[in-house]
Order: sequence, then structure tokens, then C-alpha cells
Amino acid sequence: MGKGIRFYQEPQLEKPDLVAAWPGIGNIGIIALNTLREALEAELFAEIEPCRFSYPHALSIRDGELESLKFPDSKFYFKRTGTKDLLLFIGGEQPGETMKGYEIANLVLDVALNLGCQRVYTAAAAVAPIHHTLRPRVWAVPNRRELVAEARRYRNTLLMGDIEGRGGQGTITGLNGLLLGVAKSRGLPGICLLGEIPIYISQFPVPYPKASKSILEVLTANLGLAVDLGSLDEQAQEVERNIERFYHLIPEEIRQRIEQLKHVSYIKEEKSGAITEEDTKRIMQEVEEFFKKRGKQD
Amino acid sequence: MSEGHSFKIYRTPRLQNPCLIVGWSQDAGGLGPKAIDFLIRKLHPQEFAQLNPAGFFSLAGVPVEENVIQFPQSKFYSCEEKDLLLFQSDGPSQAHYEFLMLLLDVAEQICKLKEFYTIGGIISLMAHTSPRRVSSVVSQPQLKKPLAEYGVNTNLEYETPIGARPTLSSFLLWVAQKRNIAGANLWVEVPFYLASLEDPRACKQVLSVLDQRLNLGIDFAELDQEIEQQNRLIAELKEWEGNIHKYITMLEKGIMLSGKESETLASKVAEFLQKRE
Repeated sequence: MGKGIRFYQEPQLEKPDLVAAWPGIGNIGIIALNTLREALEAELFAEIEPCRFSYPHALSIRDGELESLKFPDSKFYFKRTGTKDLLLFIGGEQPGETMKGYEIANLVLDVALNLGCQRVYTAAAAVAPIHHTLRPRVWAVPNRRELVAEARRYRNTLLMGDIEGRGGQGTITGLNGLLLGVAKSRGLPGICLLGEIPIYISQFPVPYPKASKSILEVLTANLGLAVDLGSLDEQAQEVERNIERFYHLIPEEIRQRIEQLKHVSYIKEEKSGAITEEDTKRIMQEVEEFFKKRGKQD
Repeated sequence: MSEGHSFKIYRTPRLQNPCLIVGWSQDAGGLGPKAIDFLIRKLHPQEFAQLNPAGFFSLAGVPVEENVIQFPQSKFYSCEEKDLLLFQSDGPSQAHYEFLMLLLDVAEQICKLKEFYTIGGIISLMAHTSPRRVSSVVSQPQLKKPLAEYGVNTNLEYETPIGARPTLSSFLLWVAQKRNIAGANLWVEVPFYLASLEDPRACKQVLSVLDQRLNLGIDFAELDQEIEQQNRLIAELKEWEGNIHKYITMLEKGIMLSGKESETLASKVAEFLQKRE
């Protein structure tokens, strides 16, 4: 172990859990992890040597000499919280190649298992037909059947099987999903927590900290941590103000369609007023078409 | 050797302590391939090895360009008389680090590499009639002085602008620096309206530096002819198209063109030169 990893210290931890995230839609997982890292004042202890996994993103030349080449950071942190020891892994970018992703997932798990890791969480985005004024829920996707009952008890959370028309199935793209698959194959239990982001927001490169907060509420409750999430509220308010400004530029007819998402539920057996599933699909098609057209124009 | 990727070697060249010149296929003004092709024609080196494309390039199919199937190539040539190595390659689409490591493995471990130079074009808002400047970026400071003696600008300052990415040549220089191998990226200006075509003058400029540095004894008559031919054709176009004359004159005087003027100049020059090929 250690090839491809640069260690700065070797923490002594008691059965830690690992929480990991890589960049994705709305940067939801990364915002959640960075908030947790800052709130807990977690310490850096290792990083993945990035040159094998990433293309450099910045070059610096000084007086005709190559000074530095910078790669996306992928770093490990730890924290002894008193209730639960924690490992955090924050990935700099999703690798473009499947084999590289598999290799990274194994490297992260090598480090975690070497430190006695008992469980893995990943944090990411769930693109959902919801309105941006609503509190995002969290989709919990465990990597083994025994965790389903536990995940069902989480607050403000639903499982894939709760979603109308999915039949308990779906896909988690990128390393936030792959890590849990590899963890499963290596006998390590884990749960992916996906914060909802409105479908019409997900198509734009904007952060969505409100969903990060929903994830952290579930995660910290599960880990028995008391973490001040006030900074996320501030970020979420700022983002929401920007969304509102943009929202009022949308043609009235489309906006009315989106407004209906306040009252639509895509969850099985939940009352959804007078709007049927058929209506929901139609709304989403129209909304998607509008934003696709707009995206092309931009 | 780097793990998991491979190369084919046909023979071990008898070299003392060679220098390597690297040219990438995709380059402004066709510079990389043009310069290496020119050196192959003039120095008659022998191909002796190639990096296998598996793992570095998408092999899900083959692209077709100008009616012809393409396939990624990464070839080494040796010129024992000049104690010189050439590497001509497409830029890999994946596993860039491993690719660069393997390139240096072959050059260093099999050929006892002394130092290397990459050739690349920098698109410039200049007229084709202006002299091309060559700038260098080195992995080790001792290379600056000899390059400066050949008129190379060795004091470049640069930070990657937002949204841009470092070039493969820069990545190679970094990998070499980590391996304590001396090398330099040589960047030569290419007028923007020749970027999608060929720029023999830029090619000659950068090869002149290497000719002096590596004592190659190159005869540049062929490139001189090409330069003359290109200048003559563009002069012809200037006579026929008043706008083109105006735009090139503006560039010669250091006056910036608008976006539309630049586009017109680039497309008219490309159209005219391609028709005359």
C-alpha cells in the first residue's frame, strides 16, 4: 500500500468511517465535504499523487524556467470527534477513464481499510423534479441489503424504491457511485447520500448548497456529530437570490409549469393534488426543452 | 519501464549520448509534423521503435480524414551519424502521464538520452512578413545560456489563463524535470491566419535553432523555396483582394484587427492557399 499516495502523517484512529466526494452536478458532494472538513477542523494526512490520474490544469513559467505544473488535488483528512472517528476524502476531479476511476476507488479504499475503516459514505447530487424553493430531500442508496432498513429511518430521506416508476433501480454515475461498488466487492458497507437538485437548475454550472445541507443533516445525525451548518444557509441564500433573478427572466408560461413542481410529488403513495404522473412528465419535458434551447442560444 | 503499457523496438540504435527532438501531430502551423518530416527527409534517420497505442488512444474505431483511414502513431527514429533521436507522435487521448513516462523510458534507458527539445507553435496576432520569434521554457536552468546564444527568448513569464490547459509539451517537460532530465520546449510564433495551414518560415526558424545547437548541418533550401512560394501567393492574394492587403498592412504596422477582420483574413488566406496547392 502507498504507491500513488503521498502520506504526511499516519493518524491513529478507532474504527473510522470514511466520507468521500468528487465533483459533480451542483458541486453538492464537494460543498458538503468541505463544509464538514472546515467545521470539524479536520487535518490533512495524505493525498493521491495526481499526475497518473489527471491532466494538469495550470502551468507556471518564471524567467523561462518551468516553475510548476498544477493538478487537481485529491486529499485525505481525518478527525477524532469523540463520538466517531472520521476520514474525509475530497477528490479534485472525476477521472475521464473508467480504469483510472477504478484504480482511484481502490487507492482510496486501501488507505481507509488500512486505518480500520468500518463504513463508507459518499455524497452527490440527485437530479429531481422539484422546485428550488423546496427543501431538498436526500436519496440514500446503500451497497448492501442489510442497510436498507437503516437508511429508511433517516429523516428527510427516501430510497430508490420510493421513487415512482423506478422499481428500486437507477444509476449513480462517476466515482461517488463506483467507490461504493468497489467497497461492496471488498466487503465494506457503505451508503451514497444524494441531495436533490431541481432538474432545471442541474443543467447549469451553479452550486446548490441547499442540497449539501440536506446531506449533512442526515450524515451528522448518523455520525452523532453536532456541526454548525450556518455557513451553508448563507451560501444557499446567495444562490437562491441568483436563481430567483434568473427565474423571473423565464417566460411566464414556462415559469407556471415549473411552479407546479411545488405541488407535484414523484414519490409513490404520496398525495400530489390534482397533478398526475403524466402531468409531471409533461412539465419536465417542457422545462427541459426550454432550457436545452436556451442553453444552445447561450 | 512504465507498467502496463508497451512499445515495440525493432533494433537498438548505436548512439553515444543523443539529443531528442519531439514533434506532435496536432500543432499550430503544422509545425511539429512538418519539422520532423523535414528532418527525416534531410537526415535519413531509421525508425527503430514505436509506442503501442493500446491504453493511450481510443481504439473503438478509426477516424477517416480526407478520405483516408487514420491510426495513431508514436514513432522513434535514430540518426547515428548525428547522435540524434526523433519522436513523432499523435498526442494521446488518455493515460498522458504513462505515455510521457514511456517516451522518456525508451529515450533514456535504451538510448542514453542527454537532453531533449519539443517543437511547438504559438498562435500570434502578427503578419506573415514579420520575423518569427522563438521562446524557450527549460526544465533545468543551464540550458538557458546556450539557447540565448542562438537568439532564443529565454526569459518567458507565463501563467495558464482561466479555461486553458497546459500543453502536452509542458507536461513532458514537467515529467522530465521530475526525472532530472534536461529539456526545453521551443515555441515559435505562427501568424494566426497560417495556424490551420503550414508556416514554413516558423518551421525554418525553430529548426535553425536546433541546427546550431545540435550541429545538424541542415540544408534549408527546400524550406526557403516554400517560404518564397507562400509569400508570393499571399502577395498575389493581396493584389486581388483589397481587404486582405489592408488587414495584412495593419498587422505589419502593429494595428489590431477586429474579430470579423481576423476571420475574413484567415478564411481568405486558407481558401486561396489550399486552392493553389
